[in-house]
Amino acid sequence: MTELNNHIVSAFDRDLEGIQAQIMKMGGLVEAAIMEAATSLETRDIEKAERVRNGDKLIDALEETLNDEAARVIALRAPTASDLRVVLSVMRMSSNLERIGDLAKNIAKRTDVLVQMPQVGDTPTSLRRMAREVELMLKDALDAYIQRDDALALDVIARDEDVDKMHNALFREFLTFMLEDPSNITACMHLHFIAKNIERMGDHVTSIAEQVVFLATGQKPEDARQKGDETAAELGQHSASNGS
Amino acid sequence: MYDVHTHRAETNVDDIKISANDVQVYYGDTHAIKDVSIEIEAKCVTAFIGPSGCGKSTFLRCLNRMNDTIDICRVEGQILLDEEDIYDKRVDPVQLRAKVGMVFQKPNPFPKSIYDNIAYGPRIHGLANSKADLDVIVEKSLRRGAIWDEVKDRLHAPGTGLSGGQQQRLCIARAVATEPEVLLMDEPCSALDPIATAQVEELIDELRQDYSVVIVTHSMQQAARVSQKTAFFHLGNLVEFGETGKIFTNPEDPRTESYITGRIG
Repeated sequence: MTELNNHIVSAFDRDLEGIQAQIMKMGGLVEAAIMEAATSLETRDIEKAERVRNGDKLIDALEETLNDEAARVIALRAPTASDLRVVLSVMRMSSNLERIGDLAKNIAKRTDVLVQMPQVGDTPTSLRRMAREVELMLKDALDAYIQRDDALALDVIARDEDVDKMHNALFREFLTFMLEDPSNITACMHLHFIAKNIERMGDHVTSIAEQVVFLATGQKPEDARQKGDETAAELGQHSASNGS
Repeated sequence: MYDVHTHRAETNVDDIKISANDVQVYYGDTHAIKDVSIEIEAKCVTAFIGPSGCGKSTFLRCLNRMNDTIDICRVEGQILLDEEDIYDKRVDPVQLRAKVGMVFQKPNPFPKSIYDNIAYGPRIHGLANSKADLDVIVEKSLRRGAIWDEVKDRLHAPGTGLSGGQQQRLCIARAVATEPEVLLMDEPCSALDPIATAQVEELIDELRQDYSVVIVTHSMQQAARVSQKTAFFHLGNLVEFGETGKIFTNPEDPRTESYITGRIG
């Protein structure tokens, strides 16, 4: 996208910069929440998990503020073209970020339960690696937003496939643990929900990256890749082989 | 595009009313309009936007040869109305202006009665054979101008005694009295309050059923509200012309973007 000049009415620039600064702040908090949640699980750190749960309140509050301010800009400034896209994308992104925050909070809640149980393999480390991948995607998506870099955003969208693959691999691992020893089932169910949460976070990051493409080009990206959740099919295979 | 305009006004692209090809306008040595080619559709509102001095009004005035009245003004290129060259020697500008009506920035009713304001054009063009005919034309025009109900009881009161918004609608009614095919409007609302502006905008949308409307406006929101097509002029060039929804959400040219988003271009 070509670099645009400042608005003649400089207060308009300040308004737009204001909401963009807020979305970046929100993004920073959500990035931290993803990593803290995953680390608290790996290190079995209840205090850290609690910080994630409490921190989500601030993320929710920021989403509200952002939506109010975006509505205000629409009402008072009647933004058009790229300005309108800034406002629209900020509104959608804030909702994605808020959902990621909720998922991180959910991981933290499950951590509280999981620390009461024996650890299952080294899956928390794998989950932390998966979360790290999503966190890096989010970081790049936010950088792409600031730079209006649609190529980087498209790269983020493509990387979600890796996250889906990690989720599928973890799912197989949990299934194996559960088949080996049914006493693992409770823990593995929680761990699998956590894996699913991280996979969903990846989808929300993808949606944020799509907003960046929309912001930079005025168009949604051409249809995205195939969704890679093969777990439903896998489960079918397992029950079929068990039955025979 | 996934957002914006759920309501997209219909336009019939096949029906070109005015076609301008490589139009140049000079005021003395000043080259005011450069290579402008545009096709204006029938039964569609086309808005011309652009900063002051960009040539939008000049170009609008070419469409009914109003520039003929300016001695130093020279128009080159071709402007076709229904495929006939309006600058052809055989074309009578007065007849042309009956077909291509005009409404100006400031309401300018004649210092005559409301009735005579409307009746003037049809009389000189011989459109009415009798007083009864004329009465019909006056009523019809005032109804089209969305002002009939407000003036029907005082048709013989002076037009200048009306409010600004009413005067402007009277002028629009006067412009439609000669059964034009195209209505040119040069900032028709800039002297009106928001309510009168809304009434005129509603009227423009209704007039679209029967006429091609070309409107020059400094209010981009007005262009966005009333037009189906928007043309952006800059320094005498036609920079971008396209569907209004597209121009206001995702313009192609950075100059258009700068202008509509209110940036220093």
